[in-house]
Amino acid sequence: MNPNLLKAGKRLFKLLDRNSEALMEGYANGQLDEAELDAKQAQALLQAGLVFRPDADSPLMLSSNLRSLLEEALSDIRNREIDANVGTRLNSLKTLASHYKEARHQGDLAAADAYLQDLTQHTYQLTESLRHSTRALWSRINNEFGYVASLSAKIRENQLAQQQVKELLDSLSLLSFESLSQTAGDIRELRRLLVLHLAVAVEECTQELAVVQSRLLALLGRFRELRGKARLLKGFALHCERQPDYQPKDWTLQSQLPDLLNQSPACIRPAAVDIRHQDHEQQLLSLASKLKPRRHNQHEPEASSELSLEASEEFALSEQQIKRDVEDYLVSSFDSLQQLSALDYLEQNELTWPAEVWLYQVWGSYHALPDEQRQYFSLEHHEEDYGQFTGNRIVTDITVAVR
Amino acid sequence: MSAAMTENGRVLEALLQGQFICAVSDEDAFSYLGLEANRATINHQLAPLNRRLASACDGEVYFCAYEVLGDDEHRVLSSQFQEIATHLHPLVEWLLLAQEAQGSDAPLSAGDPLRLNELQSVIEDTPALREQLAKVAQYRLFGSTSNSVDGQLKQVFKRLVEHGYFIRPNPERLIYTATAKLDYLYELLRFIDEAEDLALEQHAMDALNQQETLL
Repeated sequence: MNPNLLKAGKRLFKLLDRNSEALMEGYANGQLDEAELDAKQAQALLQAGLVFRPDADSPLMLSSNLRSLLEEALSDIRNREIDANVGTRLNSLKTLASHYKEARHQGDLAAADAYLQDLTQHTYQLTESLRHSTRALWSRINNEFGYVASLSAKIRENQLAQQQVKELLDSLSLLSFESLSQTAGDIRELRRLLVLHLAVAVEECTQELAVVQSRLLALLGRFRELRGKARLLKGFALHCERQPDYQPKDWTLQSQLPDLLNQSPACIRPAAVDIRHQDHEQQLLSLASKLKPRRHNQHEPEASSELSLEASEEFALSEQQIKRDVEDYLVSSFDSLQQLSALDYLEQNELTWPAEVWLYQVWGSYHALPDEQRQYFSLEHHEEDYGQFTGNRIVTDITVAVR
Repeated sequence: MSAAMTENGRVLEALLQGQFICAVSDEDAFSYLGLEANRATINHQLAPLNRRLASACDGEVYFCAYEVLGDDEHRVLSSQFQEIATHLHPLVEWLLLAQEAQGSDAPLSAGDPLRLNELQSVIEDTPALREQLAKVAQYRLFGSTSNSVDGQLKQVFKRLVEHGYFIRPNPERLIYTATAKLDYLYELLRFIDEAEDLALEQHAMDALNQQETLL
């Protein structure tokens, strides 16, 4: 790469760093406070295309590129941009693939390599942007469009999201397996990239978007239902205001009643014996005398023993014991320099602690170590994904090893 | 409850006591009734009492209904309907008040929590809401004689729990959860709205539009 380009890139990062406060304020407020920027810096930002001025009288604003970079990096839920412009990207993929094929055909390996690299980058960017789009949609669904307050706004946001899903699905249909396979031809590198990587990602994304779509519809239904209920309440209150002596008609007189109006009243009520009622005394006594202790399903009460304060260590013992076991584990991993996971250690030493309790204790003890001791050890989580799209991970085991 | 009582018996008892069973009020009983076979058992047991299992709000809530409606049954249902009809106005006003105090435009639904303390501090700080609460609490359904917001709110919640519209999951905390009986109430309102052709939703929208044009 051109060394000047590298230098210019670094300069750009420095420029961002120097103006980070003003830029972040601009991100939060929608416009930059020019009083905080000196004219030279503002000029530099403008030239780099990081900020722009929509027209002569308006204040400076963050460029869309910088804004989307921040939204992505900060996982900002206001992020509503969905890039559905797959068509253009597909065309550039096809063009690059043709360049690559031609260069290969002519035996220009250096050029072919460069094209392939470019193509790889474009493909990964495309899949990343697809994943980003679905992620953005999910995060909006998961907090039920919490960034807008009113139900009507939620309904509008939902409709926007549905429109975006539809556009995304339409553009994904351009990336069909056949067209990608055709573009790749029988060249192994291209097939790996376009068929194996891209087509699989597209397939996954399409499936996920179908789920997104149905969730959006369900959510929209719920919002509308809530809005309907709110209007019902308001309307009824208004109605009662206008007609203060309003009473609903008695609809139970029809022969065919909907279940809604056919709720039978209680025919048994909670009952309890009134032992303070003298008239009942004889009757209760005779009932009590007939009671026989039931033998089945009865637990023998445990023999009680006298509790004395000296025995308190007995209760504290198990807690101390697990701490000691964890210490032994840490010491053994320090001594042996071996990587032994906590659960393996538990098994090998035939300790009886429940696995979860053991893991929590190891984790807790590791973090409770003084800093100077902890830096000798590293703690590694063995994780696996839970479910399909939730992004939750489950820690199945941990390993403490010497760094 | 006796330790020997089966889940079947427990559900049967709750139904015969006239309770509404939903996922909030009694999750175990609700999932018990989720199975077709269990519903058949219950229906079989209710049949001799001229009763059957009924549900409303798309299966969100179960209760006990009469199987065959004779004159006696009609009379009972009629007096029951008239009672609940007198509750509608106070309940609707209360729900609007709670909604307004929470600053939300979505009405309370099954599963929504309501924190008495938060509600109380908002109402105490807002004279209009204080006035509204004083009016609502005096309805016969709630029957509060207290002059303080605290006393009025506690009485209102006590009655709401007694009528099964809310439960209090933890007796040590003042957090109440709405049950699906509230959704039953909405469905009843909708039924009356449609049967009497009141166009309630339209009225509400007209009032809203009027407000907007005034602004």
